[in-house]
Amino acid sequence: MPSRLVAFTLLSSALCAQAASLAVTVIDDAGKPLPGAVVMLEPASGKLPTKPMAQVDIGQSKRQFTPQITVVTVGTPVNFPNFDTVRHHVYSFSPIKPFELKLYAGVPNAPIVFDKPGTAVLGCNIHDRMAAWVVVVDTPHHARTAADGQVRLDNVPAGSYRLRAWHQAVPAGKEPAAEALTMAGTDMSAQIKLPASLP
Amino acid sequence: MSWLPRHGRVEALRTWLAKSLSARIVLLFLGLLLAVQAASFVAIRATIDRNARTAIGADLEVGERVLRHVLEQNARQLTEGATLLAADYGFRSAVASRDAATISSVLANHGERIGAGVAALLDTDFRLLASARTDAASLQPVLAHLSRHVGNARHAGEVMMVDDKAFQFVLVPMRAPVLTGWVLMGFPVDQPLLDQMRSLSPLHVSLETRRNAQSPWKTTASTLPSEARKALEHQNTIAGNSSLALALPDGEYSARGVSLTAEPDGSAVSALLMRSVDEAVAPYRQLQLGLAALTLLSVLVFGLGSVLTARHVTTPLRKLAAAAERLGAGDYTTPLGGQRRTDEIGELAHSFEHMRVSVAGQQEEILKLAYWDSLTGLPNRVQFRNAVLEAIAIGKADRRSVAVIMLDLDRFKHVNDVLGYRFGDLMLKGVGERLSQQAVRNGDLVARLGGDEFAVLLADIDPASDLSHARSVAQRLHQAFSDVMVLEDHTVDMSASFGMAVFPHHASNVDTLLNHAEVAMYSAKRRGEGPVLYDPSIDAASSQTLSLLSELRHALDHHELRLYLQPKLALDSARLVGAEALLRWQHPVRGLLPPMEFIPFAEQTGFIRMLTMWVFEEAARMWRVLNEGGVRIVVSVNLSTRDLLDVELPQKFEALLIKHIVPAEAFCLEITESAIMDDPQRALATLERLSGLGFRLSIDDFGTGYSSLAYLKRLPVDELKIDKSFVLNMAKDTDDARIVRSTIDLAHGLGLTVVAEGVENAQAWELLRDLSCDEAQGFHMSRPIPAPEFANWASGWAARHSALGAKGIADVNVTLH
Repeated sequence: MPSRLVAFTLLSSALCAQAASLAVTVIDDAGKPLPGAVVMLEPASGKLPTKPMAQVDIGQSKRQFTPQITVVTVGTPVNFPNFDTVRHHVYSFSPIKPFELKLYAGVPNAPIVFDKPGTAVLGCNIHDRMAAWVVVVDTPHHARTAADGQVRLDNVPAGSYRLRAWHQAVPAGKEPAAEALTMAGTDMSAQIKLPASLP
Repeated sequence: MSWLPRHGRVEALRTWLAKSLSARIVLLFLGLLLAVQAASFVAIRATIDRNARTAIGADLEVGERVLRHVLEQNARQLTEGATLLAADYGFRSAVASRDAATISSVLANHGERIGAGVAALLDTDFRLLASARTDAASLQPVLAHLSRHVGNARHAGEVMMVDDKAFQFVLVPMRAPVLTGWVLMGFPVDQPLLDQMRSLSPLHVSLETRRNAQSPWKTTASTLPSEARKALEHQNTIAGNSSLALALPDGEYSARGVSLTAEPDGSAVSALLMRSVDEAVAPYRQLQLGLAALTLLSVLVFGLGSVLTARHVTTPLRKLAAAAERLGAGDYTTPLGGQRRTDEIGELAHSFEHMRVSVAGQQEEILKLAYWDSLTGLPNRVQFRNAVLEAIAIGKADRRSVAVIMLDLDRFKHVNDVLGYRFGDLMLKGVGERLSQQAVRNGDLVARLGGDEFAVLLADIDPASDLSHARSVAQRLHQAFSDVMVLEDHTVDMSASFGMAVFPHHASNVDTLLNHAEVAMYSAKRRGEGPVLYDPSIDAASSQTLSLLSELRHALDHHELRLYLQPKLALDSARLVGAEALLRWQHPVRGLLPPMEFIPFAEQTGFIRMLTMWVFEEAARMWRVLNEGGVRIVVSVNLSTRDLLDVELPQKFEALLIKHIVPAEAFCLEITESAIMDDPQRALATLERLSGLGFRLSIDDFGTGYSSLAYLKRLPVDELKIDKSFVLNMAKDTDDARIVRSTIDLAHGLGLTVVAEGVENAQAWELLRDLSCDEAQGFHMSRPIPAPEFANWASGWAARHSALGAKGIADVNVTLH
């Protein structure tokens, strides 16, 4: 099913040599813009220096995780403050960060540090409907698509990259492979099609 | 009846039915009832059958729904169980560990906890990650099926085969918290499920499976008893059909196959729902038995009712029939009864009773008419004959004699004719009374036999004096008639003729005895004598008389009669002035018969009128012949009583005169005194008409009757004939001479011509001439001459007469004899 179409558009900006921006449109199978998708541009070789973000909160309010989707850089500690009056039992079976915070109320003693890139799916053992995703990225070039499915990555230095997108509606294991992309100091645009099936 | 042949039995039954109204009523009602019952029974049976089949069909349909419902419910329970498992944190933790052995043991543990025979973990693409109890190969078809129907919620709880066993599979997602895989749980579909099914419905259930299209169906579980189950396995080709009939050892079943799954490779699972027809029909059978019992009961009640009703109708009918039978047998005295009823039968009884009463009355009347004479109140001929019959029977037994006296009134017919029938009836009554007064001893019987005929029975007479006794009684009765009878100012001079016959002398049976008495009576009448006792010779005479009548007819038709003429001469001139026409019978055997041999008989029977007409016609013809030959005479013809009573006589004579062209003046009609006296009025009328026609009339045999000259004066007569008895004795008897003389004088005084008969000698001739008698007739002048010879005689006599001149007739006489 790797029928993913990636279109490159060379925007004429000859004078911009050092850094350029990449405009990415994410669409679903039906060709509709997919908002909220996480777009990541990773260097093809080596790593770009990323710093862990300051502590991020994924709260639980009205028996929902808020926010449901959180994008953090590797090494970012994430706290899970419980704003509900009921207790929650937050867990993750995801290989990048299995953990569990057994029944608790208020704020747990210690935040969870997500130290590997990837996606962790969080759930509550008490409330099956509660789900949250923590997308751990290893690149500074990442952003989420707006309501029109578009996002703009600025200040991308020229070089070879792998462009990926993630959306929670893409079933596990169905993620398309990253596309290679060479930024040549000019603004570019790209389109990613995700096999997402939104409810 | 059992010995009769079949046909005979049927015939006997038909006869019985035809005879018995009540049997027909009962049979009709019972037949109708049975027909109605049979029809309703058939209808009910058909309905029951239809209902039972419909009910079975419905049962099976319901069964299918129940089965599916049970399976669904099972699936729901299983789903719940599987869902719980899938949501178990420990399980999810184990799954997250990715340790296959751990996962398998967790699956086994949890599967066992909820009773699943198959437990497996699939990834989101339905690939097997781990399984418990079952190897991967066995599950492969199931996984293939699931992959084909991925995400189709309706297929949850589907039945599939694993290792020849049927399982109901549920597939629940495992989320952590998003979908991370599937938990597949399979629960065996086997005996417990079928038993549950059986407990919910009256159906038996068998589970039929087959591995592929070629392999036979196999019964893997069943609620049937083992025998039936075995039998079912032998019929296992039918499991796929949707509905069918099964014959199993424990009865007939209706079955419905319910396909639980059918894979493209031909493996299939079906549930066979079976309804025992016997069980389904059992309640109806009960109903039918009830109906049959009701029918039987109603037939009994109806039969009893109709028998009673029929009895109610037929018993009085039978009574009436018996009563009618009694009426038929002549018993009119017993009242019929049964009129109290107000229905039609009561009416019938009323009608019968009415009939009985009126028939009884009529019977009485008929008996009266049959045995009694209504006019005189005397027994009639029938009763008289019965009495004689009885008397003879007694006489035979006791050696006693029985006499019958029979009598007949003389001239009764004339009494009736002249004085009317009412007077005649009074007279008959008087005769009856008179006879009853004279009769007789106890046991003697007076009867009126009919008309003017009476009879007296003298029974139980001493045989020693039987004839004299009969004679004396008859004589006494005869005497009784000599007294005149005075009826309504009329004095009637009666006479009767008596005949008698005595048993055992004259007859040995009743009819012969009566017949002989009658013969004797007629003999007495003919002879004009007193009572006559029967004698065989009379009988012969009477039978002779009877044959005489037919002989006379024969004679008339065959020209055996002869006309004779006896001359009548004028006394003063001895001239031929007339002739009396006389009749002779030239009998083919007995020769020429004189009038006395047959004239009285002819007068008695009325045949005389034929003879008179014959004589008159012959005389007319002869007169014409003579007249044409120059012989001019007046021909005298005798008329009898019966002739005088014949009112048509004048016309008949007139017709003959015209026919032969003869004037009435050529005839002199001679009538005896007694002929006139029998019915003077009618005789007078006839005579006046004859006279009016121009006939001369003469009183014959004058002096023998009682007629007075005063009476004669009123008659239109022209001539008087002195009876020959006076003329014959005139010479010797001075009295007779005196009578003749005075008669002649008187007649002349009345202007009548006088003729003397029986002039047999010259002396009489002379004497009569001296007495101025006008004409004479007798042997002295001539015997009666056959008519054809009369002309010769007349010319001879005329020749002699003219030769003799006025000479005495005595001389002439001498020459003639």
